[in-house]
Amino acid sequence: MIEAFPVTATPALLTGLALVLAGPAPAWLARAEWPSRVPRAALVLWQAMTLAALLSALGAGLSVATLISFYERPGIVLLALHISAFAFTVLVLARLLWSAHVLGTNLRARRRRHRQLVDLVGRSDGRAPGARILDAPEAFAYCVPGVSSRLVVSSSALDTLSDDEIQAVLEHERAHARARHDLVLEGFTALHNAFPTLVRSRAARDAAAGLVEMLADDAAQRRAGAVPLGRALVRLAHAPVPAGTIGTGHVTPLTRIQRLGEPRTIAHHGLASSVYAAAIAIVVIPTVSVAMPWLVHLSHQLS
Amino acid sequence: MLRDMRDGRRTQLGELERAVMEQLWALARPATVRDVHQALSQTREIAYTTVMTVLDRLAKKGSVEQSRDGRAYLYRPAVDRDELTAELMHEALGTVDGDDRTSALVRFVDTASADDTAALRAALAELERREQAQ
Repeated sequence: MIEAFPVTATPALLTGLALVLAGPAPAWLARAEWPSRVPRAALVLWQAMTLAALLSALGAGLSVATLISFYERPGIVLLALHISAFAFTVLVLARLLWSAHVLGTNLRARRRRHRQLVDLVGRSDGRAPGARILDAPEAFAYCVPGVSSRLVVSSSALDTLSDDEIQAVLEHERAHARARHDLVLEGFTALHNAFPTLVRSRAARDAAAGLVEMLADDAAQRRAGAVPLGRALVRLAHAPVPAGTIGTGHVTPLTRIQRLGEPRTIAHHGLASSVYAAAIAIVVIPTVSVAMPWLVHLSHQLS
Repeated sequence: MLRDMRDGRRTQLGELERAVMEQLWALARPATVRDVHQALSQTREIAYTTVMTVLDRLAKKGSVEQSRDGRAYLYRPAVDRDELTAELMHEALGTVDGDDRTSALVRFVDTASADDTAALRAALAELERREQAQ
C-alpha cells in the first residue's frame, strides 16, 4: 500500500474527518433539494455519514490513546494523557449505547401498552380493513410500529376520507410498519439524545423523519394512486393537533404533495446510483486508507 | 401465507378480547365465564372454552381481575373504559406529558401543518392536472 501520509498523522486525520462529518457535511445535506427525488438513497447516505462520523470520532480517540506505543519510555504525564484519551473515547461510546438502550426500552414499553389499549378499545370497520378504529373528533391515522404492528384510524378520519383515500392512508402506514422505519428513526433519535448539541444530530434525525415519510408516500402512491394520497394529505393536514407534538423541521404536507406523481426517469436512477456509491465510499475509504494502516502499524509496533 | 394466517388469528383474538371487555364493561358487575358467554352468544357463535381462554389472557395482561366465588371464577374489568380511552388519546394525539416527547407512533401527518390551505389546494390541483395529462 502506498503511504500518502505518515502514519502518525492518523489521529489528526480522523479528528478532521469526524469534525467535517459531524458539522458541515450534515448541514449541506440537510439543505440539499435532491434527497426528495431519491429518498431511499438519501436515507442510506445519512446513515453512512452518521456511521462514518461516529467511527472516525471513536477512531480518533483510540489512535490518540495508542500513540503511546511510539514512545520508548513514556513519562507519567504522557501516560496519563493517553489514558484519558482512551477513557474519553470509551465514555462517548458508552453514552451512545446507554442512550439507545433507554430510548429503546421506553419506546417498546409505550408501544406495547398502546397496542394493548388499541386492542381493547379499537373496533374494526369494513372500510378500513386491518385497521383499528378509535372514536375521536380529531381526524388522524397512525401505526404502532413493532414486531406486531397495529394500524389505527380515527372515526373522524373515516368520515372525512373517501374509500380510495383511506386505502392510500393505510398503504402509507403499512409501508412504515413493513419497512420498520421506526428502527431507522430510533437510531438517529438515540444519537440525538446522546449528543443533543455537540454535533448536528438534530438535522440528521429530522431529515431521516422526512425521508421515511417520502418513502411511505412512494409506496402508497404505487399501490393506491398519487391523487387519492394527495387528497388524503390535504384533508388530514389541517386536522387539529394539539400543541406540544414533536416533529418540527420535518417535511410538510405541502412538500409531500408537490413531489407526488413525478415520473421515475433515467436521471433518478443515475442520481440514486451515485448517492449509493458516495454512501459506500464515505464509510469504506477512511477505513481502508486511514484506520487500516494505523492498525497494521500498531501491530508491528507491539510485536 | 403463514404470516397471513398468524395475523388473521391474532386479529381474531384481539377482536374477541375487545368483545369480551365490552361485555364486562356493559355488565357492570363481576361476571362468570357463563355470563360473558351467554351475552356474547346473542350476537355470535362462540365456544364456552374460547371465552374462558380469552378471559384468562385478559387476566394475564392485567386488563381484568379474577376472583374466586365458591367453585366459579368471577371476572371484572381492571380498567375503567373512559380512563383507558383518555390514556390512549394522549399518546395518539401526541400530548404525552414529561420530558420524553419522542413519539412512539408513526403518524400519517405528523404535525399540525403550517402550510396554508390555499397552497395545499393549489398543489393538489396541480397534481390532479399532471395525473390527468398522463
